[in-house]
Amino acid sequence: MNINDKKYQEFRKREKRKKINNLFQNLLLTFFVLLFAFPIYWIFIGAFKQKGEFFHYPPIFLVNQFRIDNFIRSLSLGGSKGVADSIIVACISTVLVVILALFAGYGLGRFKFGGQNLSFFILSLLFLPPIIAVLPLFIIFRYLAIVDTYLALIWSYFLVNLPFAIWLIKGFIEDLPEEIEYAALVDGYSRFRAFWKVTFPLIIPGVVVSALFVFVFAWNEFLFALMFTRSNVRTLPVVLSELIGGHGIQWGELSALSLIAIIPGVLLVVFFQKYLVRGLTFGAIKG
Amino acid sequence: MNYLIGRNRFARSITLPSVIILALTVIGPFGFLLISSFFDWSLTVPAPPRFVWFYNFGLVLKDTRFLNALKNTSILMIAGIITQSLLGFIIALLLNRNFKLKKLAITILALPIMITPVVLGFNWRIIYHEHFGPLNYVIRFLGGAGSSWIADSKLALFSIFLVDTWQWTPFVTLILLAGLQSIPRQVYEAADVDGATSWQTFWRVTLPLLRPMFVLVVLFRTIWIFKIFDPVYILTGGGPGIATETLSLYTYVSWVKYWRVGYTSALGIFQLIIMNIIATIFVRIVMKRRGT
Repeated sequence: MNINDKKYQEFRKREKRKKINNLFQNLLLTFFVLLFAFPIYWIFIGAFKQKGEFFHYPPIFLVNQFRIDNFIRSLSLGGSKGVADSIIVACISTVLVVILALFAGYGLGRFKFGGQNLSFFILSLLFLPPIIAVLPLFIIFRYLAIVDTYLALIWSYFLVNLPFAIWLIKGFIEDLPEEIEYAALVDGYSRFRAFWKVTFPLIIPGVVVSALFVFVFAWNEFLFALMFTRSNVRTLPVVLSELIGGHGIQWGELSALSLIAIIPGVLLVVFFQKYLVRGLTFGAIKG
Repeated sequence: MNYLIGRNRFARSITLPSVIILALTVIGPFGFLLISSFFDWSLTVPAPPRFVWFYNFGLVLKDTRFLNALKNTSILMIAGIITQSLLGFIIALLLNRNFKLKKLAITILALPIMITPVVLGFNWRIIYHEHFGPLNYVIRFLGGAGSSWIADSKLALFSIFLVDTWQWTPFVTLILLAGLQSIPRQVYEAADVDGATSWQTFWRVTLPLLRPMFVLVVLFRTIWIFKIFDPVYILTGGGPGIATETLSLYTYVSWVKYWRVGYTSALGIFQLIIMNIIATIFVRIVMKRRGT
């Protein structure tokens, strides 16, 4: 082939343009990634800053040493209570929600129990502004004298987490054909054993993903925790918000506690990215 | 069909526990909401609740603070949906190529979605800080003057919008990226064979095929922004004044500051109605598109 061939020249030109185009797109993407990563980086770095380093101009973008003073002090500022209560509430809530949702999701997904109406009713609960539920729930909790108890939080978290988990698990069950259970049923298995031995092992990934989402939702939840607790129960977001609103904000301690608070969410994104879209769209996109 | 016996009974017995719990958590309270909205009832006044027909609803409609909250929520919604869809789509297009570190890029971008809302509120307060915040530093570095962001009543709502956009644009990106990746290669090959330019392919093939994803994005963002509470509470608390008060925040204030049961119930009912209207419009749009 002749180097001076016109077609070859054109081809080279096009390749060059493609390369420049690609480079430009890479740069643009890098810019966006850095832009979105920066606030997270700021949380991380803040946890290791000393007091004076927050009130410094120009702002300090790098720290030389990773000291854990902030973490230790934050734990004594109510942080340890916050972490413990968040773990208790999130764990109990997750276990209860997943067990209930596993069966309800199976009932709705496999047997179409209650038809479309029941399914849509459950879905619609996810769209409710939670603030609307705060008032009546508060009055009911006060009447039952369970304000400021774990029970109040665990109960109120059903409102969002149970419909969420039911829909997610229902989606995973609908992915499986009913026929896979027939053999077991013909062999004389009970309905429950057929479900437990055949279907359940196949949807374990879905159950795990639902559990993780529910855990993170309960862990991050703020509004209900703010309204239904006082001093007996203080989840991490409530502790944080009080430190933020208090006099003389303790930036370092707050940042350290913030870093602890975002761990579950970050882990979920890093290790279960594959299911993120599916979870966040309540199963509408299988991803 | 032996194995079909007991099907319904079994289905009922495994589904009912959840349904009962949801009913207890939802129907009871919302029935209460509906009833109490007809009463003049405050927890700070010793007088017993008094039945006042639609008095509370009239109060809500005449309440400038409610209208202000409705306006703020609508602004956040419209600005947020437009910006996040556009920006999210651009990033999704940039990600929809083959390159090294693609997974890493997606992971980093997805992080904001799952960050504890209270934490990001606090974190952005530092970023927005008038004197020591990195944002003003960058602006001054570029020759600008910087501003007080959340403390400036003109910029406060914009600041909230920025935080919401930072957190939720990645969500839009993930959905649209999933959409882009689900378009089969053959469709593009067919367009190529037919001699379509890349521009034509984009407008005639990619965009129409992504339409359901965009509908989903708009639906989810509408619902989420409609109930926005945490970032606003932490960043501005609705202030300065009532410049950033959203519907959820005003409902909260009207409840914890004044303990007006009847009035707050009416506020809640109004939000239910608005949400219902939005949902209905959406269902109509989606159905219509599918019908044609």
